[in-house]
Amino acid sequence: MIFIIAFKNVWRNKVRSLIVIASITLGLTGGIFTVSIITGMVEQKIRSGINNEVSHIQVHNPEFLKNYESKYDIPKADSIAGIISNIPLVKAVCTRSRITGMAASPNAAAGIQIMGVDPAREKKVFSLYTTIPDSSGGYFSSTRKNQVVIGRKLADKLKVRMKSKIVLRFQGSDGILYEAAFSITGIFASANSVFDETNVFVRKSDLDKIMGGNCGIQEIAMVLNDNNSIPAVEQALKSKLPGLLVQNWMNIRPDMSMVTSAIAIEVYVILGIILFALAFGIVNTMLMIVFERTRELGMLMAVGMSKSRVFRMIMLETIFLTLIGGIIGMVLSSALIALFSRHGIDLSDFSKGLGAFGFDPKIYPFIKKELYFNLSIMIVLTGILSAVVPARKALKLKPVEAIRIE
Amino acid sequence: MNIIEITGLSKVYDANTMPVYALNGVDLAFQQGEFTCIVGPSGSGKTTMLNMLGGLDSPSSGKIMIDNTDITGLTSRQLINFRLRNIGFVFQSFNLIPVLTARENVEFIMQLQGVNKDQRDQRTLELLDSVGLNDKINTRPNKLSGGQQQRVAVARALASKPKFILADEPTANLDSKSAEILLEIMEKLNREEKITFIFSTHDSRVVAKARRVVTLEDGKILSDVSSTRPGS
Repeated sequence: MIFIIAFKNVWRNKVRSLIVIASITLGLTGGIFTVSIITGMVEQKIRSGINNEVSHIQVHNPEFLKNYESKYDIPKADSIAGIISNIPLVKAVCTRSRITGMAASPNAAAGIQIMGVDPAREKKVFSLYTTIPDSSGGYFSSTRKNQVVIGRKLADKLKVRMKSKIVLRFQGSDGILYEAAFSITGIFASANSVFDETNVFVRKSDLDKIMGGNCGIQEIAMVLNDNNSIPAVEQALKSKLPGLLVQNWMNIRPDMSMVTSAIAIEVYVILGIILFALAFGIVNTMLMIVFERTRELGMLMAVGMSKSRVFRMIMLETIFLTLIGGIIGMVLSSALIALFSRHGIDLSDFSKGLGAFGFDPKIYPFIKKELYFNLSIMIVLTGILSAVVPARKALKLKPVEAIRIE
Repeated sequence: MNIIEITGLSKVYDANTMPVYALNGVDLAFQQGEFTCIVGPSGSGKTTMLNMLGGLDSPSSGKIMIDNTDITGLTSRQLINFRLRNIGFVFQSFNLIPVLTARENVEFIMQLQGVNKDQRDQRTLELLDSVGLNDKINTRPNKLSGGQQQRVAVARALASKPKFILADEPTANLDSKSAEILLEIMEKLNREEKITFIFSTHDSRVVAKARRVVTLEDGKILSDVSSTRPGS
């Protein structure tokens, strides 16, 4: 009965209750939608980072990562890649030559990382090729020798375009300085402009020819069937490959990992601040309600309703009010997120700034399902905390005085 | 048999500075089945007396024994429970719960007592029938007249099967016809079911129906007159 009375009491002053519910709804909708944009940006950044740049797990010679010197390659890399590809949780493996060098056009030069790849295997692990627009060539689609695929940012920097020639200069593991002209056959545009500016992709077979077969393999990259398998596979590889360094994407790119953890906290801080602000409005409304119903509360205590029941009734009323607004806010924000996640929010006007931080200019809002569960608990807690002051006020009423108040 | 015995009951306000006696050494007893009015001018102590009897206010001195329990010694929590099980209240301004129907208002007290649903339903219908409101059971207070609301309040007061009912100026906000109907219902309940009613009132119509009239003045009993009326 307390439950029913509390629920019915919420609707005694419909206008006032609806105003409070509307403020909770709008506050939460705004908060959740903002959070979904932030989460969407970060999720896209991580997904794009994994898909285009780092994969799930990489294997290196531990010395290589100190100064990226190509002489520190992985011995018997192809047979190791073969072993890795036999692990059932591994979806695909590729090997890469990584050499630090310079790219030069007639107009400019830039320091770059040359990736010597096997395009067919590379495409099974990385999806960078999907970021090449139709108008910007392809990903080693012909068999012509000395092709290079570069990023849009680097192309702009070198003032080159499709079919332009650039010269790549680099030092081989044997200490000899090599240089060769490469023809641009593809220009990719990932979300990360820094990556696009500093990485070029060539066939490993071309590098082998230039270096007389001395081009080693400095990196083995793999993707798994499932993100959750990363720790297990990483552990298995560490025990199988004792002399090599096995790292997951979070170790390789701590910036991406840190953003994920920071966002996880930030989301709750944003929603917490919104709920905290809303709590003041709820407390104010509930105090008004207690003052207005002083005589009725006095009567209830006079006829035998215990103080704990009165306390519970005020608590429940506040929780109902908060929950109704909260639920509507969650439903409304879900609808908004569903709508915008289909079409995305285009922030191309800010794309230069976003790209520098590895964010895609088109954002697809996203929210983790567990956030709704945690948010429901936060809303109920807000209701309970907001109810404490008015409920205590009600408890302090003396029935003999309260029933005489007009 | 006395159901209420009051001994040396006093209530003093501002005891240290300028003492004002709302009640001053009152000794009084009420028997089962009484239909008693407490009358007196404003400030005579009627309401204070009713508040004391209902355990809503505590005396400065004296004892109130209700069915062998000294309620002046009960804690606030015990008093709430005692009121729930032993005392029915009818207030001047009805004080029904506006969001509940007549039936729910009556049933509510029994729910607080923990009575099971079947018994609650049966007793609620009986009580609303006894106050002549069996056609208004699902009506909310704002759709009832003042007289009808006060009849629901009487049914609610009876719901807990109390030892007695305290009615503070029950007819003060009613027109004469509604007051007449209400008094007839309460008199009938007293006569047929031996429900004890104790009123505080200024209303001569209530006094005319009472079989005992206790007059207070300046916190003391001025007179205590009983009459034997037909049907008593």
